[in-house]
Amino acid sequence: MMTNRIVNHPVLGKLEERKVIQFTFDGKQFSGCEGDTVASALWANGVKKLRVHEESGQPRGLYCNIGHCFECRVTVNGQPGVRACLTKIEENMVIESGKQLPTPLKTKGPGDHLPRTYAEYATKAETSEEENSRA
Amino acid sequence: MKGLEKIIICRCEEVDLEEIRQTVSQYGSSARETKLRTRAGMGYCGGRICRPMLDAILKKIMGDKPQDQIPLKIQPPVRPVTLARLGDGLHHDD
Repeated sequence: MMTNRIVNHPVLGKLEERKVIQFTFDGKQFSGCEGDTVASALWANGVKKLRVHEESGQPRGLYCNIGHCFECRVTVNGQPGVRACLTKIEENMVIESGKQLPTPLKTKGPGDHLPRTYAEYATKAETSEEENSRA
Repeated sequence: MKGLEKIIICRCEEVDLEEIRQTVSQYGSSARETKLRTRAGMGYCGGRICRPMLDAILKKIMGDKPQDQIPLKIQPPVRPVTLARLGDGLHHDD
């Protein structure tokens, strides 16, 4: 527990004892100290990936740590878009990471266009069905 | 700037330097047009991180051509707010 926390700093001295607070991140139980932000508590536990990019699924975590960039946004107690770097942890807080979202309307390349009329859609569906049966 | 082509400029919309350079060389676009074509600077953070970078990159690529004289605009709201917050402080929880 709390492996990455600096408890004995050469300049700042010893870390004083603080109340331990329990919270969950993506269903897993973690503990942090009173006064920690969500980000610092998770970082102390070795968790740096706070969410993935909604479209590509690339991992994201702390970036500016001053509430500027919204890279560390997580869902806290059901409320989405909460900045992990500014929000202090509370007892039994339920934190969820940001997940990849479906992209049903994304085009697959330069030649791929969304159908503009139903007739276009029907021909497109037919050709893709033929391709599927051939494959 | 070799080796930096894959560096991400806009983190919200995941646009890298290569994509911006390609768009500029293909369309000869201004900072604003590049923003609209690549979505760089139009993400969740409202361009707060990458807007100055985009302006600087475009200035470097295009030089001081007159079409680049207008820097990218800052659009309200300056910080992301929920629709519920804008809705006159009314809450419909009950």
